[in-house]
Amino acid sequence: MLDYELLEKLCKADGISGEEDEVRKIILEEIKPYADDIKVDNMGNVIAFKKGRQTPKKKLLLSAHMDEVGFIVTDITNDGCIKFSTVGGIDKKAVFAKYVKIGKNKISGVVNAKPVHLLKADERKKNPPIDSLYIDIGAKDKEEAEKYVSLGDMIVFDSPYENKDGRIIGKALDDRFGCLVLIEMLKQDLPYDMYFSFVVQEEIGCRGAKAAAYTVNPYCAIVIEATTAADVPFAENEKKVCCVGKGAVVSFMDRATIYDKEYYKLAIQAAQSVGVKAQTKTMIAGGNDAGAIHCSRGGVRTIAVSVPCRYLHSSSGIISTDDTEAVFAVVNKTAEMILSE
Amino acid sequence: MKDILYKLCSADGISGSENEVFETACELLEKYADVRQDINGNIIAEMGDKNSDRHIMLDAHIDRIGLVVTYINDDGFIKAEAVGGIDLRTLQSSAVTVIGKEKILGVICTMPPHLSNGEDEELSKDKIWIDTGLSAQKVKELVSLGDSIIVYSEFRELLNNCVAVSALDNRAGCAVLIKCAEMLYGNNLPCRLSIVLSVQEETSELGAKTSAFSLSPDEAVVVDVGFAAQDGVPHEKCGEIGCGGIISIAPVLSKAVTDRLINISKRLEMNCDYEVCGGTTGTNADGISAAKGGIPCGVISIPEKNMHTQTEIVSLDDMEKIAELLSVYVMEGGVMNA
Repeated sequence: MLDYELLEKLCKADGISGEEDEVRKIILEEIKPYADDIKVDNMGNVIAFKKGRQTPKKKLLLSAHMDEVGFIVTDITNDGCIKFSTVGGIDKKAVFAKYVKIGKNKISGVVNAKPVHLLKADERKKNPPIDSLYIDIGAKDKEEAEKYVSLGDMIVFDSPYENKDGRIIGKALDDRFGCLVLIEMLKQDLPYDMYFSFVVQEEIGCRGAKAAAYTVNPYCAIVIEATTAADVPFAENEKKVCCVGKGAVVSFMDRATIYDKEYYKLAIQAAQSVGVKAQTKTMIAGGNDAGAIHCSRGGVRTIAVSVPCRYLHSSSGIISTDDTEAVFAVVNKTAEMILSE
Repeated sequence: MKDILYKLCSADGISGSENEVFETACELLEKYADVRQDINGNIIAEMGDKNSDRHIMLDAHIDRIGLVVTYINDDGFIKAEAVGGIDLRTLQSSAVTVIGKEKILGVICTMPPHLSNGEDEELSKDKIWIDTGLSAQKVKELVSLGDSIIVYSEFRELLNNCVAVSALDNRAGCAVLIKCAEMLYGNNLPCRLSIVLSVQEETSELGAKTSAFSLSPDEAVVVDVGFAAQDGVPHEKCGEIGCGGIISIAPVLSKAVTDRLINISKRLEMNCDYEVCGGTTGTNADGISAAKGGIPCGVISIPEKNMHTQTEIVSLDDMEKIAELLSVYVMEGGVMNA
């Protein structure tokens, strides 16, 4: 079983793209006793190396990102309201009426818009445009708000976390789950030497992974992610993309990458050989750090293994612990199969 | 006040299921008054001189808006419909609590952005589905049709003694009346006082109408929440958070009661705002004022931002001031003593 208490700690840490400090601190503490080498590069990526029982012919990089989607303070209005910009591809219709925490002091606030009673009938059926939203911290005016909040402060969702009856609900599962998988692998005895990167800034364009892949210079890579599952009652079959509870998601293609075909097959085989469920995506959707890694230097053979997650870029995602265990098993086995070749 | 409010807002009890908050309210009130529940579920706390020929009723509705389970599909997703005027815009990916045999955390289903029209997607009250992440078998074991659902929120303290949480409409009003009972406790009241925490305001004002009929008071004051000034709210329809309260002026209300509320607010150096309505008030006062042969009625509201969302905001200072105003109103015997 994966260390789900650690996953909770990772998800409760706050870290939008460019402000991954809290997450990085937890990761460094966790992996220090287990890694043979750890570096934090100029961008803030954590790059670790662990020796295995054998040194393989190929250099394998396992990568997950530390950042989460959120917001950043862009302005404080005269009446003390906080205006913001999104950081990463947040689900814009799921922002209104959510609780948030702002800045290092984690000031509580709520995302507001005009109250429903004062809207015309047609307006009530529409999501308020994101640029009409603002955050209320209870400040009387700009001067008071400025004592607590500064331009550029990080804003994250303030939402419940629960792991019960085989499912987890929480924010930032994308991609603290991937970080957990990497940490757990580092804590194990490995069959082969492996490199690990906990990268920054995935949500704003896979920027950390680009640098990490350059630095590590791997032959092949496995990206561990959380990916969109749209298996909700009003989605048609193929539009569900992938389903919670149906196992690790191994995709052949998304909007950023056409994955290495041999490795894609290998990952599916790996799932079969360890007896866990795996599925692929039924739509070409999404993208992840593989997009930056597979074209690094002269090219890197890359595969992604993801946990299916409903409501991915919102305040409350849902994943299944059957799926998280399946991803962990598939990643371990795939890594071993690739490196034994 | 914060403690009372916290307890009330932490309790469930959407319209029709107010029994879920009954114990909490009872515990808070029975220190000061004789508490009972009538056949509709209204909580009635009696204080003062039971034989007095003057009878004042103070009303606040205790129900909160929410959702109700109407169907469970084969995958374990729960279909729900609104109870009260829930703001559909607030539901997208919001966490909720399903009150089945156990309390279950869930999330309101949304389509991911790449499969929907994003912000432009039309919201529909017929498309509210809840995802608990549990197996269909488990869901069917724990959840029955008709169970309540509330939108999840935790009590959050903001600046300037403001708090944010769902159900402030109108648990804040209930907290004010409980505080008022505390202030009045131990005093010789010049009247009989019935504090009514009434049911089903959000759906039909059932509780206030029936309790006003049964109690047959000589006059009544309703405490509810009113619009606080915020972006997009016209000035004439709102009061500033921190103003101390919004006193309603309306054709359906008693001028005598309203004037007395205004008079006391001035004596207490409160800087109350006013909301003038052209007809009815949208509160329990509409039903109470026309109950029996007519009951003189007034309304004072707690300024509230983000009404009917899980992020409602009120000021504890405003609540304290309104409790004080009402206790003076009762101690002076209402308008019959004028």
